[in-house]
Amino acid sequence: MADGRPTRIPLSQLARGQRAQVECSALDSLPSEHRCLLAAMGLGETCEVRVCRTGSPCIVQIDQTRLGLARSVADKIMVTPIAAK
Amino acid sequence: MIPRIALLGNPNTGKSTLYNRLCGLRTKTANFPGSTVEHQSGRCAVGDRGEVELIDLPGVYSLMLEIPESRLCRDCLEGRIGDRRPDAALLVLDATNLPRNLQFAASALARGLPTVVAINMIDVARGRGLALDEAAATTQLGVPVIAISARTGEGLDRLRQALAAAGTPTAPRPSPRTPYPHSQVGSPESMRWSATVFDAIARHSADPAPDDSSLHDRLDHAFTHPVAGLLTFAAVMTLLFAAIYWLAQFPMDAVDSTFGWVSVNIVDVMPAGTLRDLFVNGIVGGVAATVVFLPQIVLLFFLLALLEDSGYLARAAFAVDRVMRRAGLPGQAFMPLLSAHACALPAILSARVIPNPRDRLATILIAPFMSCSARVPVYVLLTSLLFAGEPLLAGIAFTSCYVLGALAGLVTAKVLRASLLRGPSSPMVLELPAYRWPSLRTAVGVAIERGVMFLRNAGSVILAIAIVMWWLSAYPKASPDPASVALHDRAVQLAPSDPAAAADLEADATRLDERHQQSESFAGRVGRTLEPIFAPIGLDRQLTVAVLTSFLAREVFTTTVFVLAGAGSEGDAADSGTLARVRTATRDDGTPLFTKPTAASLLVFFVLAMQCLPTLVVVARETGSWRWPLAQLLYMTLLAYGGALLVYRLFETA
Repeated sequence: MADGRPTRIPLSQLARGQRAQVECSALDSLPSEHRCLLAAMGLGETCEVRVCRTGSPCIVQIDQTRLGLARSVADKIMVTPIAAK
Repeated sequence: MIPRIALLGNPNTGKSTLYNRLCGLRTKTANFPGSTVEHQSGRCAVGDRGEVELIDLPGVYSLMLEIPESRLCRDCLEGRIGDRRPDAALLVLDATNLPRNLQFAASALARGLPTVVAINMIDVARGRGLALDEAAATTQLGVPVIAISARTGEGLDRLRQALAAAGTPTAPRPSPRTPYPHSQVGSPESMRWSATVFDAIARHSADPAPDDSSLHDRLDHAFTHPVAGLLTFAAVMTLLFAAIYWLAQFPMDAVDSTFGWVSVNIVDVMPAGTLRDLFVNGIVGGVAATVVFLPQIVLLFFLLALLEDSGYLARAAFAVDRVMRRAGLPGQAFMPLLSAHACALPAILSARVIPNPRDRLATILIAPFMSCSARVPVYVLLTSLLFAGEPLLAGIAFTSCYVLGALAGLVTAKVLRASLLRGPSSPMVLELPAYRWPSLRTAVGVAIERGVMFLRNAGSVILAIAIVMWWLSAYPKASPDPASVALHDRAVQLAPSDPAAAADLEADATRLDERHQQSESFAGRVGRTLEPIFAPIGLDRQLTVAVLTSFLAREVFTTTVFVLAGAGSEGDAADSGTLARVRTATRDDGTPLFTKPTAASLLVFFVLAMQCLPTLVVVARETGSWRWPLAQLLYMTLLAYGGALLVYRLFETA
């Protein structure tokens, strides 16, 4: 974040316990059936995620929902880390 | 015509618990009229003496997804499947996860069907500090909203009243405070709508429950870990089967002695003859040989339901995913393959959740390798014959059968995915439901339902097969064996001087006659003709017939063995249990029917063989041709025969 703008990184690169915001068109590199399913499961654009487990599976929490994601899916979801409060 | 109500909701909202609670045992699995799609439907008492038909649709995250379950829900709601549209919908939402569930509610309510919304798990949500305003929710959503707990029964009376009203032709259509969003679940518009409604109907108390997410994180980490997760899974499964094996022996003894008592009483009250023989050896004995395994089936489903309810199985899916991926299978194949350990039929149907067609076909083709509950009776019989009086070794052999079946399936999948079904498989995405104490009530419900299904089968198909097998082994009546006639004559001569010796001779003569009758009967002739095919794996004519009949359904094997090997020995049936009677059965030459090599070879045969006609029919239906099921039958039978041959030779030389 050297230029003051938040950087987009793949979800799989977040550390455990870190929070991040899923950005607009962050899921675009996924096949459409995955994109729709993830959004319906709660992992949609603009939502906030917390990483519960890194690696494979990557486990994230969105509100009260916990999702397990294969590494290959987590690699393709772009997020902006939220600085710890 | 009673009103028809469709039951809708996200997965993990307690929809099945509610369904079981509302319908109890008044539920059945049936096809939608004019289609091959199965569904559960049940009768539910509502209002004052009213009744509705509930249709349990699969749990989905969105009605608009291009996956079979979503399509099924759409087809049902729009009347494209079944003979008519449902009259109303019952929507189940999870109170602990309302924002996401409200989005689903909006998309379902926008369809305009009279609807009742049940906000489930209200007790858990309340414990976490959530206060729900039911009246505000009713206004906001534009339909009756009732907070319930399907586990404790809270709110269910009011729900039944609301269902009665929703089922009437004059039931109002949904009319929300804020119009339902037009876009799909998960879209920004839908998320905004749900956030607005959530703020209007619920609020968190100032004193929220303590955050247990770090404990959750640690458990999730351990259960999905590549090494610890797999070891945990192996330990859980071993404990599960050990518990089934150990706990089931008590009720099994009770069932066994009950049927024994019935046989003794029939022998006492009925005159000797064909009819008594039919009752004792055909009907009572034949059905007992299957029903004695009821405790195993019930326990298996009970414990699996507890595990699923606890939230553990979703984590186990990820632990096993790595192994399955090596075999070229997707993580989504875990639940179908695990449920194949109960029965291959629902497993093959549930393989529809696998989006990739090659993954789905590979899963369907290997599902029958998993040790289904119909194999349990055969495993129990054969392992206890193989290791009589050694429960530990028998238990290990029992578990090994499950491992062997799963390994054979995974290796087959690997070969298939590298040859006929080459191509990438889709990665796994799965919701991990919150951990909780499993509900005994739900698990008991599942176990009873499965037990009733098993008994219904035993009372119809298996009873019929038992009677047919009895007839085939009792007819045509053979002329007396010359050897037994000679014995009988000597007994008559001896009787005045030595009555004890005469009685012994008389008993020997009877045994010879029964043996002769067996061998000359229809079953005996078929067995003798085909015996050469099965002799290399240690089967005689009786076991050959038992293996052939078990093609209809595996559990029939125990029934056939009992009826064929035990026929004519009424005294034995009364004195000793089913297992003891089979254990002492002999071949025509007087050697034991089950030697160790024979029991071991049959065990391997049953682990690997496709001995199930209904499975073949379902595979043909799901794959759209008879090509796959016939290839599957040929492959599995050859593999089973080869495996059995190898084990038989190993045990013989050992």
